[in-house]
Amino acid sequence: MKEKMTRAADFIRRHCQADDFTLRIHHTEDLYTRFAQNAITQHIDGKNLYAHLEVAFDNRTGAAAVNQFDEESLKNLICKAENIAKLNKPDPEYTPSEKAHELRELIKPSAATRDLQVEKIVADIAKCIKNAEEKKAKVSGISEKKFSESLLLTKNGFEGYDQRALFSHSMTMKKGGIETKVSLSAGNHAEFSISRMIEQLNGQFESLQEPQTMEKGRMPVIMRPQAVIQWLFYLIWTYNLREADEGTNAYTGQVGKQFFGDRFTFRSTIDDTKLHAPLFTNDGIPTKNIDWLVKGVIKNMQADRYYARKINIEPGSVFNIFIEGDNTGEQEMMKLVNRGVILNNLWYIRPIDMKRNEWTGLTRDGVLYFENGKVQHAVTNFRWNEIFHEMTKRILALGPSVQIEHDASVPAMLIDDFNFVDVTTF
Amino acid sequence: MNYLELALDKAISLGADYADIRIQRTQSEFIYLRNLSLKNTSMNELYGYGIRVLKNGAWGFVHSNIFTEDAVIKTTKRAYSLAEQSGRLKNGKGLKLAHERSYIDSYHTPCDIDPFTISLSEKVEMMLEVNRTLLGYEGIKQAMFMLECTKDEKLFGSTCGTRLDLHTVYLEPTFRATAVTPQDSQSRSFRDGGVACGWEYIDSLDLLEKAEKVAEEALMKVKADSLGAEERRTLILDPIHLGLTMHESVGHPTELDRVLGWEADFAGISFATPEKLGSYQYGSKLVNFLADNTLEGGLATAGYDDDGVPNQKWYIVKEGILKEYGTTRDTAPIIGLEMSRGCNRATYYFDFPINRIPNLYLEPGKAELSPSELITDTEDGVYIDGQGSFSIDQHRVNFQFGGDMFWEIKNGKKIRPLKKIIYKSNNPEFWNSVDAICDSRFFRTFGVTNCGKGQPGQRGRMTHGGATARFRNIRVGGSQ
Repeated sequence: MKEKMTRAADFIRRHCQADDFTLRIHHTEDLYTRFAQNAITQHIDGKNLYAHLEVAFDNRTGAAAVNQFDEESLKNLICKAENIAKLNKPDPEYTPSEKAHELRELIKPSAATRDLQVEKIVADIAKCIKNAEEKKAKVSGISEKKFSESLLLTKNGFEGYDQRALFSHSMTMKKGGIETKVSLSAGNHAEFSISRMIEQLNGQFESLQEPQTMEKGRMPVIMRPQAVIQWLFYLIWTYNLREADEGTNAYTGQVGKQFFGDRFTFRSTIDDTKLHAPLFTNDGIPTKNIDWLVKGVIKNMQADRYYARKINIEPGSVFNIFIEGDNTGEQEMMKLVNRGVILNNLWYIRPIDMKRNEWTGLTRDGVLYFENGKVQHAVTNFRWNEIFHEMTKRILALGPSVQIEHDASVPAMLIDDFNFVDVTTF
Repeated sequence: MNYLELALDKAISLGADYADIRIQRTQSEFIYLRNLSLKNTSMNELYGYGIRVLKNGAWGFVHSNIFTEDAVIKTTKRAYSLAEQSGRLKNGKGLKLAHERSYIDSYHTPCDIDPFTISLSEKVEMMLEVNRTLLGYEGIKQAMFMLECTKDEKLFGSTCGTRLDLHTVYLEPTFRATAVTPQDSQSRSFRDGGVACGWEYIDSLDLLEKAEKVAEEALMKVKADSLGAEERRTLILDPIHLGLTMHESVGHPTELDRVLGWEADFAGISFATPEKLGSYQYGSKLVNFLADNTLEGGLATAGYDDDGVPNQKWYIVKEGILKEYGTTRDTAPIIGLEMSRGCNRATYYFDFPINRIPNLYLEPGKAELSPSELITDTEDGVYIDGQGSFSIDQHRVNFQFGGDMFWEIKNGKKIRPLKKIIYKSNNPEFWNSVDAICDSRFFRTFGVTNCGKGQPGQRGRMTHGGATARFRNIRVGGSQ
C-alpha cells in the first residue's frame, strides 16, 4: 500500500497550488472478532485508506479529507481544501507546516501480528469460552488485529512514513454478581499467550467470590496497573501548557515546581523497544525521549506547534506512557498499611472541576479487602472523587513498571487515603 | 453497475441465510474556532459500503471503499466466510432474525435550507461574531465555538427484498465561554445538541443574545460559592440537563443488547432485565418515557434503521413502569419478541450496526405548570441548567452528575448562583423522586451526536427531550 500512498502524495505535491500544505495519508487493515455470552456476536473485517489535506494561502487555512484515491477524487480534495482556504478568514495563529527532519529508522511491525489468521483468533476465543463454560460462567470480549501505515508530507519539506501492527484481546467473565476482566495489547502476537490470560482471568475470578459491602471513606488502595492506566489517560488529556498559562487548568505557574508526589515520574520514551513509539507525531514532530514529570516536578507539558513557537519552546505531545516503578510486590504493599482495598480497574472517569484537577469515577472488575497483610474477602464497588496531583503525593509504594498496553508501561501503586465517596449497589 | 444487487445475489448464491448491504456517503463540515483563531475548517467525506451476512445464525461483516465488481464480490465472499467462522462459536442454533416485511422506500430529513449551501464565510462570520461577543466581556479569557454539519446518503438493500434510499442531515452549534480569576476558572456553554434539519434552525437561534447570557453567567459562576457537605435536597433540572440523565440512566439500560450482556466487556450490562418488564417501578407515576424514532428533528429519525425496520414510536416506561426495550432484529427474538423496534444503527459505512438508544424523551406533565411556577413552589433546593460532569456504573444503577449552571432556591426564588455542585443517586431512586414535570409548552430537545458505544467504538446519535422537572430528596452537595 505504501506505493499507492506515495503516488497519491506525489500527485498532491504536483497539483496543490497553495502557499503551504500538510498531507496525511492513513491506511488501516483491521479485523475485529467480538464475542459475548459465550458466542461470537460480531465479526468485522476491512481496509481503509484516508487522505487529509490542510492548505494555506498566506494565513487563510482550509482542510478536506477523502477516502477515494482516483485522480478525480484527489483533484477534488485539493480543490475543496484550497477553496475553503481562499474563502476563509485569516487565522491569527496560523503556523507554517513542519520542515524536513531526520527520522529514526522504521522498525518493521511484527509479522506474527500481521499474518495472524482469523482461524487462530477463533480457536483462541473457543478456549476462553470453554474455560467459562467449565465454570458455568459467561465470557464476553474482543480480539483485535490491526495494521496501519501513515504518510505525512508537507510543503516545507517534511516527509515521513511509519507502520504499526497491534494485537489486543480483552475478556470479561461473569457469573451471578461476580464479574472481572483482563486485557492486553501488544505489537507482537508471538508474545501473546491465551493460556496466560485465561489463568490471570481465573485467578481474579476466584478471588472475588461472595463480595461484602464496605463503608465509604478514605482508605489505602493498591491500584493494579490496569487501574493506574485509566486515570493516567485523563491526566494526560488535560496536561497542556497553553491551558495552564491561560489559567484554565490546575498547572498554572507550576512548570519546574514540585506539583505531584515525589514517587511519581512519567516519561515518553523511544528507547524501550517493546513500547510502541511512532517515528513522528501527527504534526510532523520527530518523537524523542521526553521527561514530563520527574519525582513530582513538572519538567515539560504538552504544547502544540503554534503555542510552542509563540513562547519559544519545543512542541510535544505524549506519544507513549512510561511510569517509573519500584520493586514492591503486592504482598509487600499489603504489609505496609493496616488495611485497604485492591482495585483491578477504574471506570467512567470524568472531570468534576478542571481547575482543581478533581475527577470522579468508579471501581470495576473486582475489589478486594485486605487487612493484616492478607486478602480477607471481595467487596462491592465504590465511587471515588480525587484530585490527581494530590493523590500522587499519597503514593506509599510502587510495583515494577509492566507493559499493559502496546504503548504504556505502568506500575501498581499503593496510595494512601484514597477518597471513596459512595458505595454502589453491587 | 448495481452493486446492491450484485452483493445480494452473490450472498444468496454462496448460501447466506440473510444479507444486506449499505452503500453510504457521509459528508461532514467542521469549523472549530478557538478565540479568534480558526483551528479547523474542513470538509470531509467517507464513501464506501458494508456487507453483512448471516449464515447458520452467525454474522460476518466486511467493508470496502473500492467500487468495482470484483471488489464487491470479494467483499461479499469475505463476509460470508467470516459468518462461517463466527458460526463455529454460537449459542444453540445461533441468532434468529425477527420477522420483517420488505420495503421499497425513501426518506429525506425535512430541511428548508441545506446547510451545505450556506457559504463558509457566512458561517465563519457568525462564529467570529459570537466569539467576539464572548471575549468582549472582561474576565472571559477563552471562547470556543464548534459547528458541525453532517449529511448522510445511504442506499440499503437486503435479501428480504427491501430497497431504501435514505438521506439525513443534521447540524450542531456549540459554544463556550471560560471566565478566569486568580483563584478559579469556570465555563458556561450554549449546547442544545444536534438537530436533524437545515440551516433554518441556526437562523431561528439568536446566537448573539445567547452569547451574552453565556458570558454573563460564566462570570457569575466563577465568583459564586459552592454548597457545603452533601445533604438530601430538592433538585429542579432543566430539559438540557435531563437529556443527559435520561440518556445514561434510562436510554442505555433499556438497549436490549446490553440487557442480554452483549456489551459486558466494555460499555457494560443493564440492571433492567427482562423479568422486570411490566412490573419494575422505574419512576414515579408521572414518569413516561417515550421512544420515538419518528420525532421531527430527532437524530435517530431516518425513516428506517440499518436492519431495514421502519421508524416507530412506543413507551419504554409508562406511568413509571418499565414496559419495553429498544430492540433490533437479532436481539428481539431472544426475549420472545416477534418484531424489532428498529434500533439497529451504524455510524459510517465501515461500522457494524449495533443496538442504539432511540430518540427518547420524558413526556411533559399534563397539568399546566411553568418552570417559574415550579421554582415558586419550591421552598429549598438547587436548580441545575445544562450538562457537566457525568459518571455511571457499568450496570447503569449508581450515578453522579454535575451541571453547567447552578442556582440555590430559597422560599420559591433563585437567590444566588452556585458552582461545583454534584448530586448522587441511583436507579430506581432517582426517577421515583419526580414529583412535578412542567407542561408541553416548555418541552425542549437535546440531540446527542457523540454517544460512544461498541467495540470498535462508534459515535451514535439520538435525541432526548423533556420539560423542567423536580426531584425530591436527592443527595446534593459541593464537590469534595
